[in-house]
Amino acid sequence: MENSPRSKHVLSVRGIKKSFGGVKVLHGVDLNATAGRVVALLGENGAGKSTLVKIISGDYEPDAGEITIGSQTFSKLSPISAADLGIRMIYQEINDAGTLSVAENIFLGRLVSKNGFVQWRKMRQEAKRILEELEVDIDINARTSSLRVGERQVIEIARALSDSASLLVLDEPTAALSGDEVDRLFEFIDRLREKGTAMIYITHRLDELRRVADDVVVLRDGNLVLQGNAKEIDRSELVEAMVGSKIDDGGRPAQNKRNLNDEPVISMCDLSTLGAFENVNLSVFPGEVVALYGKVGSGISEVAEAAFGLQRASSGELKIQGKAPAKSPREAISKGVGLLPADRKREAAFLGLSSGKNLVAPFWSGVLGGTLWVNAKKERASFEKWREALRIRVSPSGAEQSISLLSGGNQQKVLLARWLNAGSQVLVLLEPTRGVDVGARQEIYSVIRELANSGVGILISTSDYEEVVQVADRAVVMSGGRMTRNLAYDEVSVLALTDASGG
Amino acid sequence: MNNIEQGVVPAIKDEVTVALPASSKGPRRQLPEALALIIVLGAMIIFFTVTSPVFFTANNMLNMLTSIAVIGIMAVPGTILLVAGQVDLSVASAAAMCGMVTATLAENLGLGTAIFVGLAVGLLVGVINGFLVTVVGVNSLIVTLGGLATFFGIGQLIGGGQTVLVQGFRFLGTSRPFLNIPMPVIIFVLALIAGFIVLKYTVFGRQVYAIGANPVAARLVGIPSHRVIFIAFALSGMAAALAGLILVSQLGAASPNNARGYELLVVTAIVLGGASLSGGRGTIIGTFLGLMIIQVLGTGLTLLNVQSFWQNVATGVLLIIAVSSDRLRERFSSTG
Repeated sequence: MENSPRSKHVLSVRGIKKSFGGVKVLHGVDLNATAGRVVALLGENGAGKSTLVKIISGDYEPDAGEITIGSQTFSKLSPISAADLGIRMIYQEINDAGTLSVAENIFLGRLVSKNGFVQWRKMRQEAKRILEELEVDIDINARTSSLRVGERQVIEIARALSDSASLLVLDEPTAALSGDEVDRLFEFIDRLREKGTAMIYITHRLDELRRVADDVVVLRDGNLVLQGNAKEIDRSELVEAMVGSKIDDGGRPAQNKRNLNDEPVISMCDLSTLGAFENVNLSVFPGEVVALYGKVGSGISEVAEAAFGLQRASSGELKIQGKAPAKSPREAISKGVGLLPADRKREAAFLGLSSGKNLVAPFWSGVLGGTLWVNAKKERASFEKWREALRIRVSPSGAEQSISLLSGGNQQKVLLARWLNAGSQVLVLLEPTRGVDVGARQEIYSVIRELANSGVGILISTSDYEEVVQVADRAVVMSGGRMTRNLAYDEVSVLALTDASGG
Repeated sequence: MNNIEQGVVPAIKDEVTVALPASSKGPRRQLPEALALIIVLGAMIIFFTVTSPVFFTANNMLNMLTSIAVIGIMAVPGTILLVAGQVDLSVASAAAMCGMVTATLAENLGLGTAIFVGLAVGLLVGVINGFLVTVVGVNSLIVTLGGLATFFGIGQLIGGGQTVLVQGFRFLGTSRPFLNIPMPVIIFVLALIAGFIVLKYTVFGRQVYAIGANPVAARLVGIPSHRVIFIAFALSGMAAALAGLILVSQLGAASPNNARGYELLVVTAIVLGGASLSGGRGTIIGTFLGLMIIQVLGTGLTLLNVQSFWQNVATGVLLIIAVSSDRLRERFSSTG
């Protein structure tokens, strides 16, 4: 607005550097947030967005650089001092107390009270005033869990704003929202902008940018690579800044020749599941790696899970190896289908148990033989075999060592070996290299390719386009629960994927 | 401020774990739990041996095993349950109820049939608990807490609140069929061996650990979690019945108050033995050591003429120590 740049900046960080265990994540980054403006922070996964924001919120201590808030300059913040200075964070997951009322949630942690008693009337009035001021129509007495996700997010923002916030940081706030909830959130952000709140908006969706942001800052591999006015920079410039040299697709695998007489191992015909995905058409042939690519919430993981029998279809046809799909994981496994879940710690690994036990786990289910006694010798032999084949790096006590002591990449190899050992002919892999370091990632890709060469049909659901380019024969792109593109071998490229997934 | 921290702490851990190469983490060893228990038990035995001349005698050792046998028999399937992340608090009142059933029926049906019915009632109790936990999906703590009250009440109803005398029922409680070892001790040892083999060498045992360690992953690798938990509850119900019958045989009478409060001792011993309340960890050897610590403490305090009220206090404190050390272990050994 006026041209006194220094005073407009609510927050200004200069030359921020940060590394974790020798890995440099930020190489000297600058960022300004201005009253009444939204600055979008753009970048791919691992670009350093979250690290930068956690330094601003006081969760991480920077190795170098300074943070200026108003007129004060700091070399680091603590979560408490950042909060005292008016910095408020909104994360993508909802962080409220669902069983309490809206009013209580707005004042969570600092209920309006006197002598230890809650002053309900005063608190409700205050809550009502805040929501009215934000021009949202939500019943303050409603149980919070009964509201829609978008409304709960607004309440979180209301909580953040109810006590003198000077800067609001929104971390991918639309990840869990539906289309019209996104529109409502954007209107809400517009109102906050008019009231003069400074905002940092983190996203990797280009389509949101023009609608919501005034300024844009792009990070790539910990460097600031582009900065400017959100309305003036064009899309291709942004994509190039975000993906950089990765835009030339050097790493395509050799195409697998598929036998035209083969039956598909997975075939979906107009498959729909209410609330998850619609009219998906897809087939995976033996010896083929097919990628399902899309952003979080695009429906890719639900489609992949359907192939393992975890999602019941509401209409359409699904065939696994030419037959009706399994109704339970047990049945799927007995038919030779293996699933590598997306969340390693929560859904796949038995963290308290040894690597060897983790590897042979499907054999305990009784559907793959081994019904009474454990065969410890065979267990160790299996582990040894796959340890060598997949280059799983463990200390000499290998099979006996708890899997929780392995690195992410090695854990993932053990969990992948689980299905190789079980001889699965159809593999469904969800985000197979999430949280895996670069070296192990390449090794996992070559294992996946070798498997395909040996005739296994593989479906990968991933939100990492580089993964698609490096490992898949074909790709199906989804956005908002629908297929947006079907890419043949020659058509798979970073640009095509990014474009079809909506940013 | 709280919500900021909640959202961020796990993320920090995550990133650091990923960034570090595996080798730089070094082998982080778990605390050798059994060793610590053996040291504690050994220290207690030495202390009581020094302070009381009758403590370290063959006779007293056998007596201690006999008096812990009833609790120990229930603690074996109890360990299996806790490893699977479940708990059975109804064992003690189920034991008393089964004892009442057998004692009441013995006069008319004959002892053999009455014992059979008593054991069948125990199995039924386990089946009901298992059904409610797996099929209906109620938390096992709640189901068996309800069972605790219900079965105690049924036991009172059966005998009109009175003690029922049983004639000529000695072999389970007081006979010494082998090497002059009391029958309850023999049953206890057999149960320990069976439990040890099941947990360590059978597929069922592995399933139990897997379910306790990660129920979601267990389902996704095809483990029939419901069936496993159901069987474990059925075993627990039968063990309770057996324990109840041993008590009746030892006392020559069944009372609804038999075994009162034993569920506390069962859980204390198992947790003391290193089983985690969140499941996935625990061993029969640990449970045996936990049982012995409780018994040595009890006997030792008696020999030192400490009022029996203090023994209750000691048991309670032991449970709290056991659970606290469980939490601390979790905190120190968790890597993610």
